[in-house]
Amino acid sequence: MRIVCPFCGERELGEFTYLGDAKPVRPAANASEDEVFDYVYLRDNVAGETSEHWYHAGGCRAWLKITRNTLTHEISSVEPAAGVGAAKVGA
Amino acid sequence: MAEFSWLSRSPLEHALVVGAHGARDIEPGISLTEIRNFDLIQVMARRGKAAELANATKARFGMAAPDLPKAVSASDATLIWSGPDQFLVLSKGGKQTMDILSQAFSQSASLSDQSHARALISVSGTKARAMLAKLSSIDLHPMAFPIDAAAATSIDHTSVNLWRGNDRGDGQAVFNLLVFATFAESLWHTMLDAAAEYGVDIRLSEELG
Ligand SMILES: [Zn+2]
Repeated sequence: MRIVCPFCGERELGEFTYLGDAKPVRPAANASEDEVFDYVYLRDNVAGETSEHWYHAGGCRAWLKITRNTLTHEISSVEPAAGVGAAKVGA
Repeated sequence: MAEFSWLSRSPLEHALVVGAHGARDIEPGISLTEIRNFDLIQVMARRGKAAELANATKARFGMAAPDLPKAVSASDATLIWSGPDQFLVLSKGGKQTMDILSQAFSQSASLSDQSHARALISVSGTKARAMLAKLSSIDLHPMAFPIDAAAATSIDHTSVNLWRGNDRGDGQAVFNLLVFATFAESLWHTMLDAAAEYGVDIRLSEELG
């Protein structure tokens, strides 16, 4: 498997580290225990397209958000994760 | 108490032996040179400060820092891309030290002095590309990796900043490698192993290529 880093270009899998599901969104501070439990522990086991966080540890050290098909390993999109390139957005 | 020295020493001090290594009956196909005593500063733009850093960089070096994987040469420094919104400043002779650059970039970037945290190794020779092909997955063919091309990548599971400098006088390509000090000896031995069959000429230098 290879990943096309938006900053470095196409690189071998060994340069990247998998973080996990990019879907869960941190619940509000006053969220119920069930919502927090869901956020921390529960993950969908998707057969098909998933959204994942990867880290280009052996390269530019940027966090990436990747859309990958768990059936075929086809990667249909790679984009910088939230916060990467923050120097270019407003303070 | 044991004597302690604050003098900086090369992480390759024990591993590097100047002279010939590997195959001896042939003209050495690899030249491996460690370059010592350089200044290296990591510059990272702060949140929302990319444009400000670009202006400060132009004012300081007379040119923009690369925003693609490239290394560009200013009059007394090389600016090496190391990731989004960050670059390394490599220089000699105290012209671009932490003290000086922290003034120039105080409003726009966070700086970190890496001068004694990395080893700088220069690889060249007729077999340089063949040797590096054993260790790196980067395509180093001149079409894909011309002079000034750079990459933040891994060699033998070790992070390196790799870039192509100006060709040698004899036209051979020169590949420069910055590696973390504590990984330098391991990478050095790996490169010696990969290079041995081609014959290696090992040198030390105080000059940036
Ligand atoms: Zn990258």
